[in-house]
Amino acid sequence: MSMPSDFAHQRFEARFSDGRTASSTDVFVELTERGIAIVRKASEAPQIWPYGALTTSEPLTRHAIDALVTSSHQPGATLFVPGPKFARSLAQCAPHLTASAERWRSARPWLWATVALIAVAIGIWMVEFSPARTMAMMLPDEARKTMGRQVVNAMGQGHATCNEAEGRAVLDTLTAKLSKAANITNGFNVVVIDRDLINAFATPGENIVLTRGLIESAKGPDEIAGVLAHEMGHGIERHPETGLIRAIGLTAAAELLTGGGGTLSSVGVTLLQFSYSRDAEGQADDHALRILRESKISAQGLAGFFARMSKIEGLKESDLGNLLSTHPITKERLAKALQQKAYESEPALNDADWRALKAICGTN
Amino acid sequence: MDSMANEELTAPAAAGRSLELSWLPPIGMIGLSFANFVYRLMTLGIYDFWARTEVRKRLWSAIRLNGEPLAYTGTGKELFLGFIIVFGVILLPMLLFMVAVAIAFAPGSQIVELVSLAFYVAIFLLIGVGIYRAQRYRLLRTNWRGIRGSLAGNSWNYGWTYFWTILLIPITLGWIIPWRTTKLQSMITNHAMFGDRTFSFKGDSGPLYVPFAIMWCGVCAILIAGILAIGAVMASLHSSFGPDGLTPDGQLKPEVAQMITLGVLPVIAVAYLLYLLISAWYRARTINYFAGCTHFEGAQFKGTATGAGLLWIDMTNILILMAGVLILMIFVILLISLIATAAVSLVGQPLASILGPDFRTQIAAISVPILIFILALSFTLFLPVTQARSMGYLISHLSINGPVPLDQIAQSEAAQVSTGEGLAQAFDVDAF
Repeated sequence: MSMPSDFAHQRFEARFSDGRTASSTDVFVELTERGIAIVRKASEAPQIWPYGALTTSEPLTRHAIDALVTSSHQPGATLFVPGPKFARSLAQCAPHLTASAERWRSARPWLWATVALIAVAIGIWMVEFSPARTMAMMLPDEARKTMGRQVVNAMGQGHATCNEAEGRAVLDTLTAKLSKAANITNGFNVVVIDRDLINAFATPGENIVLTRGLIESAKGPDEIAGVLAHEMGHGIERHPETGLIRAIGLTAAAELLTGGGGTLSSVGVTLLQFSYSRDAEGQADDHALRILRESKISAQGLAGFFARMSKIEGLKESDLGNLLSTHPITKERLAKALQQKAYESEPALNDADWRALKAICGTN
Repeated sequence: MDSMANEELTAPAAAGRSLELSWLPPIGMIGLSFANFVYRLMTLGIYDFWARTEVRKRLWSAIRLNGEPLAYTGTGKELFLGFIIVFGVILLPMLLFMVAVAIAFAPGSQIVELVSLAFYVAIFLLIGVGIYRAQRYRLLRTNWRGIRGSLAGNSWNYGWTYFWTILLIPITLGWIIPWRTTKLQSMITNHAMFGDRTFSFKGDSGPLYVPFAIMWCGVCAILIAGILAIGAVMASLHSSFGPDGLTPDGQLKPEVAQMITLGVLPVIAVAYLLYLLISAWYRARTINYFAGCTHFEGAQFKGTATGAGLLWIDMTNILILMAGVLILMIFVILLISLIATAAVSLVGQPLASILGPDFRTQIAAISVPILIFILALSFTLFLPVTQARSMGYLISHLSINGPVPLDQIAQSEAAQVSTGEGLAQAFDVDAF
């Protein structure tokens, strides 16, 4: 028999409770090769608690001054051994009871989970998978229409919508023509709100919001058609839905973490503030160029408008809600629009219709 | 009976013996703090449930009855599952419902407001339920000499009492507080058990009203004196500066504003300190009174906590927690400067070719959340140390007088639970 010599046959005084009542008895214990030997009376054979079946009430550390031990072989019974010497020797015989072993055992699965999570996150980032976009693609049309109505309401709050009959009819015709070219069966719905700022938004459920400021600043109908086609591109790609879902998700996550509430109701307004990524703008541009070609409208209007905007608005970038902050314009985008091969095109609107559209808010 | 008396060597007779309650300060809590912090960081916080469990095992072990430790037998897994269940079954569905309502109806509409109100009512109802269930879990997972504690009774009764009495606090200008705390304490004590024996709470809120009235009047006096003192400061400044203290457009001159701050801040600080002192004094009176009301078999508890003692523990605990934040901030700043230097000087060019020209933005986008996470965790770095100090103070100022027939107390028959205190944890209302 080989036994670590430093604790061989060493006896420790201890108190044993059988777990049936709250009383306890004095016993002696020994650390043997097979486990803890508990000696109640010198005449009786010792009771053995194997090391593998042991637990201690607190993990063993080098600071331990005593040990409270239980065994799954005798549920309910407890053995209390005072003094640091026993605790230290027990840690040698049963290393799985030490604090570092117990911590590692319980943390290990989560450490692996963390590593896996980081790997998945990097993977998602590499393949450009977006959960928000996937959800946006799966949203039923009804839900998208409802979201769209809410957002349009939030944007128009405190401002009139422009519905002069003549201008409205012109706008509807133009929209229908572009929608047809875009292969959208039910067509887009365009709302003009009476605001000075120059901007256009695609909102969920095939809705587009234009501002009076934008219509007034346009140099011709082709520019309006270009902007509409570009916003339709965002709509086709479900960018507004994706952005809203992302915003709601982030807000909800923040609320879950902080336990706060109440900010969710203002989620419609966030569309005013978020900007699209360069990739999203590129996608919308591609759609826009295709729609314009199908409709036989020149792409020079779109290019001209954005080029002019980037010059004007570059001066006042801090102006929240301007076109540039929601649709970042880059040289590559402009170049793409300008380099379109010429095709047979005609003006988007005749002069009379263009005047009617400009007067849609009744200001002229 | 003879053999029993023989086994319980120092027991006087069948009537039982008195129990000596003591606190053996746990060693190595600072090391445990750092170990738990690192593991929590590496597991994105999930390890917290196991970290709490190890702290509890140490704290419970430090509580000695006749020299033998209490044992905490709960596990991190139970806390984790409890939290997941509460989160998945209650909080998440509630939140998703809120989101759905917010999307379906216009912002600011009455339905949205109504649902929000119902949400808050439900949360407040659940807080009380959570406190009771957490207490039950902890008692079931506490044993001494293998005999378990337990908590009978209905958690919803407690939750309801907790809810409606909290609504009455502002209406009664706080005067329901002694009655409320006594009621809630007795609801728990009267259902708490050790083995097959029940604790009992003997007493009503009457004796608490004298200290409460003193505290209430004291707080009023502090408020009035504070306002008068601030008024005096302003008046003396006004008389010494008069209209010269204002700029032509009616604004305060910076030097006058500074004088006001210098005069007013000490007043607020002194008033707040006095408030802390008097509220700690009331808290100590409450703890001692509740201890005296608590009976178990032939024994009665006795509390000797003092307001100054509690205040000292609280203030020094705050300093300890702040020291933890400071230590981690220094560490993080050193780490950032190291990483930033390395990233820019060594691998700036390769990074730019992999991540594109705006790689600095991308690195910031990744590292900022991590830093926020570390800072959020930093407030809890030394929590094990402060918890041990708080619990140590309470246990050291608590004693048990009178006989307890230990050999007659049999194992608890209470049903075990398999998950722990999710609700209380979700609302963060548990102390230890």
